Amino acid sequence: MDPDSQTSTETDRVAALRAYGVLDTPPEPAIDEIARLAAHLCRAPMALVSLVADDRQWFKSRVGVDVAQTARSASMCDHAIRTEQLFVVTDAADDPRFSDNPMVKGPPHIRFYAGQPLVTPEGHRLGTLCVIDNHPRLEGLDPTQVMALRILAGQVMAQLELRRALRDRSETEERLRLALAAAENVGAWDWDVANDRVVADAQFARFYGVDPEVAAAGAPLASFVSRIHPDDLDRVTAEIDAALRGLEAFESEYRLIGDGGEPRWVFARGQVFGDEAGRAARFPGTVVDITARKRVEEELARAARLLADSEARFRAIADTMPQMVWSARPDGLHDYYNARWYEFTGVPENSTDGEGWNGVFHPDDQARAWEVWRRSLETGEPYEIEYRLRHHSGVYRWTLGRALAIRDASGRVTRWFGTCTDIDDLKRAEHAKELLSQELSHRIKNIFAVVTALIGLSARQSPGARVFADALRTRINALARAHDFVRPHTEASRPTLAGTTLHAFLRDLFDAYVGPDGERRVEISGDDAVFDDQAATPVALLFHELATNAAKYGALSTDGGRVRLHTVRQANRFILTWEERGGPAITAPPTRTGFGSSLTALSVESQLGGRLEREWASEGLRLTADLPVTALARRRNAAHTSTQPAEGSRVLPQHAKTEPSP
Amino acid sequence: MSARILIIEDEALVALEVQLVLEDLGHTVVGMAADADSARAIAAETVVDLALVDINLSDGPTGLALGRELAEDHGVSVVFMTGNPGMLRQGVAGTIGVLSKPTDETSVQAAVAYALRRRTGERALPAPPALRLFA
Repeated sequence: MDPDSQTSTETDRVAALRAYGVLDTPPEPAIDEIARLAAHLCRAPMALVSLVADDRQWFKSRVGVDVAQTARSASMCDHAIRTEQLFVVTDAADDPRFSDNPMVKGPPHIRFYAGQPLVTPEGHRLGTLCVIDNHPRLEGLDPTQVMALRILAGQVMAQLELRRALRDRSETEERLRLALAAAENVGAWDWDVANDRVVADAQFARFYGVDPEVAAAGAPLASFVSRIHPDDLDRVTAEIDAALRGLEAFESEYRLIGDGGEPRWVFARGQVFGDEAGRAARFPGTVVDITARKRVEEELARAARLLADSEARFRAIADTMPQMVWSARPDGLHDYYNARWYEFTGVPENSTDGEGWNGVFHPDDQARAWEVWRRSLETGEPYEIEYRLRHHSGVYRWTLGRALAIRDASGRVTRWFGTCTDIDDLKRAEHAKELLSQELSHRIKNIFAVVTALIGLSARQSPGARVFADALRTRINALARAHDFVRPHTEASRPTLAGTTLHAFLRDLFDAYVGPDGERRVEISGDDAVFDDQAATPVALLFHELATNAAKYGALSTDGGRVRLHTVRQANRFILTWEERGGPAITAPPTRTGFGSSLTALSVESQLGGRLEREWASEGLRLTADLPVTALARRRNAAHTSTQPAEGSRVLPQHAKTEPSP
Repeated sequence: MSARILIIEDEALVALEVQLVLEDLGHTVVGMAADADSARAIAAETVVDLALVDINLSDGPTGLALGRELAEDHGVSVVFMTGNPGMLRQGVAGTIGVLSKPTDETSVQAAVAYALRRRTGERALPAPPALRLFA
């Protein structure tokens, strides 16, 4: 050992000394014998095993000295430990370093001193083995004595080392024992391989179904394998053999059969130690119950598998759907599109993630789509919009976009799933159909015009037919107007801005009956209703006849006469009341009913399935038509029987909401 | 007062009846046209006081532009007669109003009389009920 390089600081030296745990311990025969042997060999009356602590020297063994320790300042050993060599003072009384030393001046009256340092394997000099004489020895020690002293100092050190090792081991074992006892799921074994004896603790014994007392005493390895799961036994045996052959560390996870037959996963870790001949000698280790961890792992694996399965299934479904499918995070950023989307748009994969989708929309639709999407994100309500989407060919195609929010148990939106459906062909077909039906209805209206012109022209040839022709013509005109209200319309073709309700039609029909100041002479009030093409003809004829009759004989035949037309819905009936006032006074019901009255009765009773009542009051005719509420719009009622409004409310059906219902 | 009237209508029977009605009143029907180009040709050749103009003609929905053109470029009083009065909801510059088809003799007579009186400068007239005036 190189003394200079191994010189330690004083602090480290004192710490090393303390680590041996020897200070202030009782005498030990083994060390005392060494001290006595040293004294004997050196023919010295005194010998010490002196350990130099931070402020004192303490004697682990002393021969011929009474005191157990001295102050460090009085220590000659303190000088001796400054080198690794034997330190000799031939006459202390004559040495200026020690002449004033109390142990020189007083008992034990030291004159000769020879100290051999006690050096640890790490190079710390803990103290000395020294021999002392109270006579000076100018000749010092002879070579044999020097050698004996060095060997004996080594022996003291060996004793101290042994002591330290024992102490270390017992501490480690204690810690280990405490740790193992604290951990219920950890067992420990130590296998004496040569003698095939496995010594194991109680927990290990329990794991392997062995009586703890038998395990503590030691039993052959074979006693411990019965609980290893048959499917794992061959593998574990092979792993043990491999560790034994290679003198290696051993690690293995395998199953044990529990007391109730339930499998228990353990993780075993050990180390094979060899003897001098390189044969496996000992094989200690620990085993940990990892059943809980394994279960978690298996659940995770299963969950991951399920997730992967459902993800794969989802993608398979999404990719085979005729629609484009996408998903977005709750913040609205898109993170998935199916194959169809890329096929349709031709955009590079992932290029429409985030907010990139908007760029594939028609520039005129982008802002609107954003607005609708933003509103859905804010409210969580379903998203539905029609927009033009850029096809990979460069043309924009009408597309129906819809999306639904997916929510967790607490109702929080976790994801949006959406589809885009190419409705361009549908849209075109619808448009074509609309054009066709408008064209047809326009032609029908044109035919009405041609028919009335034909009537007018025909009447010119026979002047006697003039009255008849005019009556026919106005009836046909009334029909034409009624049908104009119920035919398919565009915004531009609609006859009035007021819509196509019954009241709007009646106002239009009675437009011609105005007073001198332009005020309407037929006042319409009450519940409005819609009517369809089936009801148009009877409705037109009913009111045309009533009005022309009133204009000829009734309230509209005089300047001051008025008609009040009140319509009311009562339960499932729709009741129209026509009341004339201010016309010529009526003294008796007309004796002869004309064709107009027949048309009225036919319209109400046969075509509308209602009841007709006429009351000839003196102030004017009062007529009541009591119709089933379904008579006005049979088709619509067939489609919406459940949406009838409550009694007294408007008969107008609610306009379909533009927002889809959740 | 007798006026020179142009009838622009692609249904011959309807046009014929209007012609007879107008002639009964003493007016001169200067021409009947079924499409815009024929109407322009007549208006270019002869003086026209009033034109009764259908919207949908044999060359398509060309009546609207034609009516405006006759009113603004030729100083013709224009009354539309159409089955689709909704197409004229915004009105047509320079023209008087619209008569909804099918119509009857009385309405045609009243509308023509109103249009001609307005032509002579009588502004504050009550319009006949069947004629919807443009603002």
